[in-house]
Amino acid sequence: MVSFTLRRLGAGVVLLIAISILTYSILFFSSANIARNLLGDQATEEQIVLKEQQLGLDQPFLSRFADWFMSALSGDFGRSWFTSEPVAVAIANRLPITLTLVAVAILLTAIISTLIGMLAAVKRGWMDRAVQIGAVIGYAAPGFVIAVLFVTIFAVQLRLVPPVSTISPGATAAAWFTSLLLPVIALAINAVASSAQQLRSAIIKQLERDYVRTLRSRGIAEREILFRHVLRSAAPAGLTILSLQFIGMLGGAVIVEQIFALPGIGSLAVTATASGDIPVVMGVVLFTVIIVIVVNLLVDLVNGWLNPKVRVS
Amino acid sequence: MTEPTPAGQSGVVVRSSVFGRIVRNPLGLTAIVALVLIGAAAAFAQVLAPFDQNFSDITNTLAAPGGEYILGTDSGGRDVLSRLLYGGQLTLASALLCASVAILIGLPTGLIAGYYGGWFDSTASWFANMILSLPGIMVLLSVRAALGPSVWLAMIVFGILLSPGYFRLTRTVVQSVRNELYVDAARVSGLSDLRIIARHIMSVVRAPIIIQTSIVAGVAIAIQSGLDFLGLGDPAQATWGIMLSDGFRNVYLNPLLLVWPTLAIMTTIASLVLLGNAIRDALEDGQKIKAKRRPAGEKKPSRSAALPTVEAGTEQHLLKVSNLAVGYPQADGSIKKVVDDVSFHIDRGEVLSIVGESGSGKSQTAFSILGLLPDTARIVGGSIQFDGAYTVAPGDETVSSERLSALRGRRISYIPQEPMSNLDPAFTIGSQLVRPMTVVLGISKAEAKARALELLAKVGIPNPQRTFDAYPHEVSGGMAQRVLIAGAISCEPDLVIADEPTTALDVTVQAEVLDLLRTMQRQLGVGVIIVTHNFGVVADLADRVVVMQSGRVVEEGDVLEILRHPKHPYTQTLLASMLEDKTPMTKLTVDAAGGIA
Amino acid sequence: MTFGISHRRAAGVALTLAAGLLLTACASAEPAPSGATDEPGEFVRGEALRLGVLGDPLSWDPSQAHVGHLLQPYQAVYDTLIMREPDGALSPMLATEWSYNEDLTELTLELRDDVTFSDGEAFDAEAVKANVENFKAGNGRQAAQLADVEAVEVVDADTVVLELSQPNPALEYYLSQAAGLMGSPAAIGTEGIATLPVGSGPYVMDSTSSVPGSQYVFTANENYWNPELVKFNRVEMKVLTDVTARVNALVSGQIDATLVDARTAGQVEAAGKTLSANQVDWTGLLLLDRDGKLAPALADVRVRQAINYALDREAMLEQVQLGAGTVTNQVFGPESGAYVDELDETYSYDPEKARELLDDAGYGDGFELTIPTFPGLESIVPLLTQQFADVGITLIAESVPPQNIQADIAGGKFPAAYFFLFQGEPWVAINQMISTEATYNAFDSTSPELQKLIDEVRITGATSDDAAKKINEYVTEEAWFAPLYRLDQMYFYDPNTITSVPQTQMAVPSIYNYSPVQK
Repeated sequence: MVSFTLRRLGAGVVLLIAISILTYSILFFSSANIARNLLGDQATEEQIVLKEQQLGLDQPFLSRFADWFMSALSGDFGRSWFTSEPVAVAIANRLPITLTLVAVAILLTAIISTLIGMLAAVKRGWMDRAVQIGAVIGYAAPGFVIAVLFVTIFAVQLRLVPPVSTISPGATAAAWFTSLLLPVIALAINAVASSAQQLRSAIIKQLERDYVRTLRSRGIAEREILFRHVLRSAAPAGLTILSLQFIGMLGGAVIVEQIFALPGIGSLAVTATASGDIPVVMGVVLFTVIIVIVVNLLVDLVNGWLNPKVRVS
Repeated sequence: MTEPTPAGQSGVVVRSSVFGRIVRNPLGLTAIVALVLIGAAAAFAQVLAPFDQNFSDITNTLAAPGGEYILGTDSGGRDVLSRLLYGGQLTLASALLCASVAILIGLPTGLIAGYYGGWFDSTASWFANMILSLPGIMVLLSVRAALGPSVWLAMIVFGILLSPGYFRLTRTVVQSVRNELYVDAARVSGLSDLRIIARHIMSVVRAPIIIQTSIVAGVAIAIQSGLDFLGLGDPAQATWGIMLSDGFRNVYLNPLLLVWPTLAIMTTIASLVLLGNAIRDALEDGQKIKAKRRPAGEKKPSRSAALPTVEAGTEQHLLKVSNLAVGYPQADGSIKKVVDDVSFHIDRGEVLSIVGESGSGKSQTAFSILGLLPDTARIVGGSIQFDGAYTVAPGDETVSSERLSALRGRRISYIPQEPMSNLDPAFTIGSQLVRPMTVVLGISKAEAKARALELLAKVGIPNPQRTFDAYPHEVSGGMAQRVLIAGAISCEPDLVIADEPTTALDVTVQAEVLDLLRTMQRQLGVGVIIVTHNFGVVADLADRVVVMQSGRVVEEGDVLEILRHPKHPYTQTLLASMLEDKTPMTKLTVDAAGGIA
Repeated sequence: MTFGISHRRAAGVALTLAAGLLLTACASAEPAPSGATDEPGEFVRGEALRLGVLGDPLSWDPSQAHVGHLLQPYQAVYDTLIMREPDGALSPMLATEWSYNEDLTELTLELRDDVTFSDGEAFDAEAVKANVENFKAGNGRQAAQLADVEAVEVVDADTVVLELSQPNPALEYYLSQAAGLMGSPAAIGTEGIATLPVGSGPYVMDSTSSVPGSQYVFTANENYWNPELVKFNRVEMKVLTDVTARVNALVSGQIDATLVDARTAGQVEAAGKTLSANQVDWTGLLLLDRDGKLAPALADVRVRQAINYALDREAMLEQVQLGAGTVTNQVFGPESGAYVDELDETYSYDPEKARELLDDAGYGDGFELTIPTFPGLESIVPLLTQQFADVGITLIAESVPPQNIQADIAGGKFPAAYFFLFQGEPWVAINQMISTEATYNAFDSTSPELQKLIDEVRITGATSDDAAKKINEYVTEEAWFAPLYRLDQMYFYDPNTITSVPQTQMAVPSIYNYSPVQK
């Protein structure tokens, strides 16, 4: 298990380096006008040249990447070209919001879609059909349409929660709750729609396994079979489904944060890529990939732990 | 179908084409019709649209629907309907491009990786994992920043991001069929790898790819509109996403602008998903079971109604099956019977063997007794009584799980065919033995454990404690079957139903397990029903024999009588094949059997 | 409010009481604000001013400061040497008086002697010198403002002289803008000031509550030299880049004031917010390629005039801006000295005439014109395309990523562009789009006649209006541009909490223009 973890972490590091190079080179070719955009329309040519020197934009690709990479290795991700904020601070400020958003949404998705998926798998009939139809509709409705609908109805019309995030440093739990309630639901709806459907299939697959029939023949109650045996066997498949949803949600958070003006990683990513703020984009991409690697590793570890074949040997 | 359908096969569902089945599925048909309409509307936009997509009525922006502009005009004074049609072109075409890119990358690499494995497999898998862990939207944001807002470009990149899905799918499917017999045969007969892939493997991969594509196209449309919503699209060309973001900007002035593109997007994605589901259903089982609709007015049999008493003079039988018929409702409303008019009985301490090959209905009969039929099965006739009380009363449609749950484990128990798959791999053998005893017998855990160890020793396991603590994957198949036998007798049942208890075992182990069964039966004096296709087993254990073929009982009688003087040609064939020491693999038809006799 | 008119007095008493309670509450929490008393009629400081702002300051280093709506955040923490009143008049701030020498190359400033920065440093002539030098060295967005300042001479502690290489008629204005922001000499030039401003302004940044890119929080500077300008205990600026988010926040009462657009104004108005509009930007086409390098047709003045005649400005104002603006044919604003009323009648909507002019110029069969398009032009581009098509010109809108747009226009990649430009003081406008140094004179178009006028404006300074008007007439008649209209800046505030006075040439008010509602 330890060597497995180390191997995976090693592969993760290689992945991080590969993605760094890829992203940096994509961004490199888009950074031609940074100095001008920083300086605005009053700037003279000399000013622009000077600014490019200050930012090191006059350096060739390899030396720029090497500079960035070496500082990043030592933990220094530089400062945003546009807000002068250290990238590490910028991410540290925003990460808790995005992580809370996504974590709560995935938790909600896990609970609701397991419940729905289970009911549909066990009850079949109208329940099953309702889930299938709900899944199709929930899946087909673009997430941002739902989010905008939510803001309009619950925040602007009914005034139940503020339409714009009130999370700031030192904000109360209530502020976090009211600010994240709608974004979490908006994120979770699409995820529930697609994962309930997949969990249903995973559970049905387990329910059809031979040992379930044997357990029934032994007089074990249906409820116990479901909760103790079937759900446990379906867990690896479920975790994999949810980990993919998690990665998807990091993307969905970009849009949702934009709509609810949540100061998270997603909105940082949008402004940074729109303005070509390379240090920030690099930081965001790296941290996101690290999160994804960690989540995937955790899922593999939990799946390994759930599987006695791996655990025992 | 080129071959003529053999005569006399009435009641058998004719295998229809996959397309036919999709079309007969109402949701599938709706999806296809919707997609065809949407596709045609987009394709013929030039003909259908009343205006050019960029014609602007400069004094009439945000017009309400009606009049010249059927759906009104957008914030640039352009006809919404025309833009919806033209926008469909770009939206659908770019979504298709996205899927094509993903297929072009994922399919060949998946085929090669799955077929040849080796270094290519590991390298490609590594890349697939890398791409999968990229946050898609972030990549699209960067690409857009670098290369501009082209819809085509975004969809190509997104296609690359989605290609691991196809890669993994193809790879898994190919791996699973690579070593199948027919692929081996093709290889032996000298076909080149390319021909094998083209002819045999592609046909297997095709269907999953189509399903995946219907999903991917939907995802592509959704992502595209998301990018447009973030203001990252190309405003110069109409797409549904661009129209949607125009709707957002004017949501307070004309909310309807939001409705049309949303409807178009939702209908398309939903149709794609439904189509995918329909194809999957059509492929999974040609006989998708539809819940039988009760004719109006017919009442559900009341549960509380008192059970009828069994026929007088039959109470003494441990189990009696009378005229049992089991069927599965078909998509066309008919019912396919798998067990028909089956009757037999068994008394205490007796060993009855039900013989027949696969498909003869013997397992279905056994499961009817246990009440473990699949949910979709229906009792279409007959009754089952256990110890003088009906478990399936005449007229019941399903086996009452209420009545049986009082019997299962406690009085009727079950020994399955495949030992390994009948133990939950996630639990220790011990806990799987202990739990039923605590539930059924109501004894404490410690007591149950002592009993379990005793039972394990009894079924001939050399080190009971070790097996007790072991997980199923740590013991051999024969050992697992002993464990299952121990489980079956743990609660002192009156009737044990063993479903091909030795088929999955090595020949030497088979004999041991049969010995064990015989010993247990003698010691405990239980009634045993052995379901088997093997007359060797019958000869070894049974007192009486029921021979089944195609869902019906063809012969019944004392074991010696039947072994010596089989009357029915089918029984003779079965016996003959046993003597030749081989198992009949293919289903024998009545004619074929008659021919042999 | 349930009180009718006859109960007004009772209500007044109740409110005074409430206000008194509020004050006591404040007083117990922190030292009493100087000059604040319970007496009726006395100014009562507001609790909080919550603004929805459109963007981040790049850096809190005053040398990186900007103008327009991006000046506002700097005003909270930094004072300018000269104050610009809402109507544009300049009045004393850190500088009590200022005067030019005869040839307009030396500007002498007399400074206040009672100002300290929030870190305790004193404000004096040396501080001004340090700031000017920092501004020039900082290579910021407005570095051009002090490009003509060669040296700073400290005469005594409260007198300083700016020495110019050539006259600059906008220098005093600049000293009320980015170039006039004074930071603590101990902080400027250090890395820390980029994220933590240290100035002498009416407010001090609360850095623990501030998150760049999301929100900035400021608290009252209790030692401020002019308590009258400290009208709130707390100022919050929420960064809301998306207009829908700003609308939602304002409508639901999360913020007190923000800038929205014409398409959302109705929603905000319906929620009872008060509009405080002014005009800052003009919008229209820059017909840049006046020498015909990329689009030969544009070299012909008749073609450029034809484009001007082809545009139905009233219709577009009505359709795109819902009427919120004023159509115009000139690029100078009414507040600037260069504005000429009659010029607005130069080009009326006349497609017939446009076609005639194109015919005369030899483009009767039309030509292709490519302009860059970017988010924000979704509604206007189709209208322009149609009107161009109506006179036979094919307008091709090419999508350009927003971060490239300015560079592409300034770099001469497009023969023409649709853009939004600030209508500032004549000298500012000239250097933005007319002189050969101007960013939006991509092909360096000029003529001896025009150059002479520009030089005249530079030298005659404050009395240069006549020359500036001539420049305006020149570029309008030569059809250098095809302006459509001046946009109303739809700035709304919540009349229940604050009042706000628009600031000339700024889309959002100066920080000093907000006051709490006096109850």
